[in-house]
Amino acid sequence: MKILIIEDEKQLVRSMAQFLRQESYVCEIAYSASEANEKILLFDYDCILLDISLPDGNGLKILEKLRASNKTDGVIMITAKGSFDDRIAGLNLGADDYLPKPFYLPELSARISAVIRRKRFDGNNKISFHEIEIDLLGKTVKVNGNEIELTRKEYDLLVFLIANKNRVVSKNAIAEHLSGDDAELMDKFDFIYSHIKNLKKKLMEAGCEDYIKTVYGLGYKFTT
Amino acid sequence: MRLLQVSLRSLLLYSLILVLISIPVSIFSIREIINEEVDETLALHTNQFVQHIKSYEYLEDLEMDLKIWDQLSYDITLIPSDGIAVGERYETISTYDSIEHESHPFRTLSTGIVIKDKPYLLTIRMSLVDNDELVMALGIVQIILIVLLATGLLLLNRSLSRKLWRPFYNTLNQLKAYELDKSESIQPEKTNIVEFADLNKTVSHLTDRNRRVYLEQKEFIENASHELQTPLSIFQSKLDNLMQIPGLTEAGAATILDLEETAQRMVRLNKNLLLLSKIDNGQFNEVQEMDLSKLAETLLSNLRPMADTDNISIQTSINSLSIKANPTLTEVLLTNLFHNAIRHTNTNGKVNVELSGRVLTVTNTGNPLKMTPEKMFERFSKEGRSENSSGLGLAIVKKICDTCLYSIHYNFHAGMHTFSVTF
Repeated sequence: MKILIIEDEKQLVRSMAQFLRQESYVCEIAYSASEANEKILLFDYDCILLDISLPDGNGLKILEKLRASNKTDGVIMITAKGSFDDRIAGLNLGADDYLPKPFYLPELSARISAVIRRKRFDGNNKISFHEIEIDLLGKTVKVNGNEIELTRKEYDLLVFLIANKNRVVSKNAIAEHLSGDDAELMDKFDFIYSHIKNLKKKLMEAGCEDYIKTVYGLGYKFTT
Repeated sequence: MRLLQVSLRSLLLYSLILVLISIPVSIFSIREIINEEVDETLALHTNQFVQHIKSYEYLEDLEMDLKIWDQLSYDITLIPSDGIAVGERYETISTYDSIEHESHPFRTLSTGIVIKDKPYLLTIRMSLVDNDELVMALGIVQIILIVLLATGLLLLNRSLSRKLWRPFYNTLNQLKAYELDKSESIQPEKTNIVEFADLNKTVSHLTDRNRRVYLEQKEFIENASHELQTPLSIFQSKLDNLMQIPGLTEAGAATILDLEETAQRMVRLNKNLLLLSKIDNGQFNEVQEMDLSKLAETLLSNLRPMADTDNISIQTSINSLSIKANPTLTEVLLTNLFHNAIRHTNTNGKVNVELSGRVLTVTNTGNPLKMTPEKMFERFSKEGRSENSSGLGLAIVKKICDTCLYSIHYNFHAGMHTFSVTF
């Protein structure tokens, strides 16, 4: 799957590409608006990561051009400004998602897979991982064909971990993903720990293998 | 007391003393001048009289004539003397006037003269201005003078303070109302008075410069926060990649976790600073009708799981309330108040949220404050050493309340911290 990263900060681009390539995405890079326009014209991408403030132009213009040429590439806007107006303008112009800087790469990765799935399968889709099957539309989880009861947070957690499978996801990234700004209240991560514990228990009770590995005190890794 | 009143008081006092002193001085000097004039006239008359008498010395019965003449004349007496009186003698006497029934002052000149070898005493008198009348007249004139002077000065003072000082009071009132973060610049009234023009120029210059510095500072904070977002993103993304490296040791993992926590603190701090400067810059001006009760309930239900981990119970009593407000600011306001309450509640404590009428009350159990309540709302003032707190939460709450004209009150009673916001 092909991803275009439009971003002028070389260091950030390098990190993003490094992280996403592990997921076997093909990453192309445009450091400027003109470069981006050229690439968009020539190729189709599954997902475009679009930084709004570029040295030679506003990212919103690129989005406008893209949609005007009837291209349906998924677009995730990335911005340092985090302003409400930019978000509204971007979503109105047809961006699929919006991610303010700074962000966790696992969060980016989860957003990308969500956008790609939505584009590819018209939203009616399932994620499978061995004996686990997740119906994203109905928000249900089956293990070996038997549905299991998960809370909203446990469900979000499972989807997030699977979107980042085979990678270490830090507790901070999970906390931010599950609770947004409320994450700053969590002093001891008991909260995450209890959710992970419950999720593991429910999965294993349904006959699922223990895929959630603890990585020292740092975080968790969903892997076989 | 106003400046003009002070100067007026001194002026009036000085004039009063001057006028009061001038009364006896002028009476005395006028009398002296009159006496001198009268004395000269008396001497002249005496001389003439003696000359004239000499020309009548041939008359036989002059002695008799003189006696009769003395009876008839009113202002001149000529009586035979014993000859002892010699030379001239001036004096002021008071004579009773039988017609007017009052005493009049007279100036007399008595001279011993010799007519036909007989000594006589010639006394010529002239009426002087009545002393009492003189004092009275002068007094009245001076009193009228004082009254005119005082009323004149008062009236002049009033119109002066109205006209002359108007630019000054205008500038002063503008300065009183001046708020660095709100007011544009001072618009002083044009004036011809050099001092006021100077003052106005200085005040305008000062406020303009302060405002410029303030705006630059404000812009700087916002720009700095923006610029920090990118390096923070890079930092975080490198950490995310670092933890993927195979063969990560436990010590390495612990270090990465510490770095990530530190990065998070920076991110939060930066986000809050950016938020504060955005509020300052009026970037949250648009308002819309919103359901406050629904927002409060949603936020609280998100927080319950976190409160549960510390066994903090959240009780609510929320009546429906819709307000016209900015959604972002309102959400931040409620979130910060709730976060603050939960953060400062001890394990097994209680948080109580009540919305009734237009008042939102957030109460939580906890230890008494170590700092003063005023300090609590200042930036970077932290109670205790909570590493997860940026120390900006309540400063943002205060800023939002100030911006949206909500009133916020805090009190501590019976182990309960209470914040109440009136929308």
